[in-house]
Amino acid sequence: MCIGAFRRDGRLRLALVVDRLERLVNLVIALRETRRPLTVERIHDRVAGYEGERDDAWRRMFERDKADLRDLGIPLRTEKLDRFDETLGYRIAPEDYDLPAVSLHPAELTALAVAVQLAGLGDEAAPALDKLAVDADLVGEHRAIPRLPLELGLDAPNRTALTQALTNRQRVRFDYRKAASAADESVRRSVDPHALLYWRGRWYLRGFDNDRQADRTFRLDRISGTVRPTGQPGSVEIPQQPPNPLDVVPGATQDPIEAVVEAGQAAAWKVARRARGAGQPVNDRDGWRRFVLRTNDVEELIGWLLELGTDVELIGPDDVRAQLVTHLREMMDPA
Amino acid sequence: MNPTLARLRRILVMVPWLLDHPGVAVEEVARRFESSPPEILDDLDLLGYCGLPGYGGGDLIEASVSGGQVVVRMAEFFARPLSLSMREGLALLLAARATRDSGVLGNVPAMDRSGDDAGTDGPLITAIAKLEAHLGARAEVPVAMDLRAGGAEHLAALWPAVTDHRVVDLTYQSASKNETTVRQVEPWTIRLVEGAWYLQGYCRSAQDQRSFRLDRVKDLQVTEETAPDPPGDVRPPVYRPALDDPLVVIEVSPQAAWIADHVVLTDRTQNKAGWSRLRFQTTTLDWAARLLLRLGDQARVIAPQELADLRRSHAQSILALYDGPESTNNP
Repeated sequence: MCIGAFRRDGRLRLALVVDRLERLVNLVIALRETRRPLTVERIHDRVAGYEGERDDAWRRMFERDKADLRDLGIPLRTEKLDRFDETLGYRIAPEDYDLPAVSLHPAELTALAVAVQLAGLGDEAAPALDKLAVDADLVGEHRAIPRLPLELGLDAPNRTALTQALTNRQRVRFDYRKAASAADESVRRSVDPHALLYWRGRWYLRGFDNDRQADRTFRLDRISGTVRPTGQPGSVEIPQQPPNPLDVVPGATQDPIEAVVEAGQAAAWKVARRARGAGQPVNDRDGWRRFVLRTNDVEELIGWLLELGTDVELIGPDDVRAQLVTHLREMMDPA
Repeated sequence: MNPTLARLRRILVMVPWLLDHPGVAVEEVARRFESSPPEILDDLDLLGYCGLPGYGGGDLIEASVSGGQVVVRMAEFFARPLSLSMREGLALLLAARATRDSGVLGNVPAMDRSGDDAGTDGPLITAIAKLEAHLGARAEVPVAMDLRAGGAEHLAALWPAVTDHRVVDLTYQSASKNETTVRQVEPWTIRLVEGAWYLQGYCRSAQDQRSFRLDRVKDLQVTEETAPDPPGDVRPPVYRPALDDPLVVIEVSPQAAWIADHVVLTDRTQNKAGWSRLRFQTTTLDWAARLLLRLGDQARVIAPQELADLRRSHAQSILALYDGPESTNNP
């Protein structure tokens, strides 16, 4: 440790306590520069900033430093010293630390920077962009893109924690609000995660519910508080392919149907857009046009048509038309 | 993130670049790393004290500034940037894939195909391929996204207007009153919210900030008129009830309880049969009535009576259409 040292400007720098940042840089250097793992005792001797502290105090400092470095993504290995010595030590393998050449072209780096902004994932992804910019020798240039007036809004609470659990193949625990239950009532769930799904503006977790002993789909916006990993990493078997949201997200059915809809002038433009075509004139209805619509979600289609009121009529298929009429009749009858 | 770690992150990204660019000016370093010259000098000062315990000081990093030029040496262990953490790498990949799948790609100039050869992939596509190759097996996280959203066909026309701040004439079907109006809008931003595209901006007719769902836009014309610059911070579109917005009380079955996510509740209770009683404000009773049409017999109106009547009359007039002579007119 330096008791005092002269700064470049000639003033005496009093460094009775080595700055925490300086200690962290020293720790990274010491762990990178060693081939054999360093025991905690060696780290204490080699890294400026730990000496002079009482034993339990410096061990606490070291534990915190270790956690912080891992948080920054610095790959600390914990290894046995060698084949004959069971003692554990630490090191950073250069092949883990060094970013291999990715060699993005300027347009590619810009495209990624734009994507991060659109998705609203800057907090998480910006450090990766900075590193790739150094790799491509384009530092500072990717930041020059102006703020885009467009946003996809993909961030959601707990999405990162669940991505982490998926990559670690680890069981998770969280409190989940049921839609039908009163506002603050939630139930603790234990789930083996299988996939994250994004569908119609929402994130869902698909996984095996250990309490219900069945596969279930959970909405991320109904999770109260934070998702915590509970199981051993590597213990969850993850299906090869993520399921199609259409199969597992409530309200999204699989088989598409073709619905025939007639619309008057006031609503025709809306129906036309969904049908992707101008439609055909209807013989005995002045100004009305007939369209064919494909949908995976019959209930959604019925709801949409009802909101358009008397400007549209569902002509077929018969069973869907009947479903719409029943829907309305049930509403008319006093419950 | 605490300031010490944020600074460490910057140093680890800056040192490899400085090793590659000896003699660069302090001001340029500050500009490229979005920092200030004093901060950069502080970082360099600190680096000069770092290394392994010295045998004659030879194991310390050399960081010198002379005549405003920076030289860093003896830091070969920091020659490369730190590899991407799983968290950052996956976030970057997710953002890139989502942008590709959303189809907005062609509307953002930077995303346009740089080469003019038809059939070549744009830079986003090739960047995704490089990222996937780099992340290897880690890129195979089971995430499936479906970003199709209503109103996307207007994006191409709206995009230049939003970027150039040009006034737009919108023919818009209001959600709260079933009527089509023509409005002049100063566009601010386009957002994808809960599966629908929105244009946010200043509506000259309403003389206030408004959000327009693009799937309710019947027609739009970009005018030549330049609009004032948008405000710095535009918040996502959320309904904020006004004092005189009508208050309604409804009861919904468990199957229809999802509706609670689409209104701003003031109160919610549950009865023995599992039905929820929801109390919320709505811009107009007509909007609430049409929402209730969707729910069918899974919802009951408690108050006001006017809402129950409105829903009944809407349902009756639609039924009349289906019970009329046209009903046998199948394709």
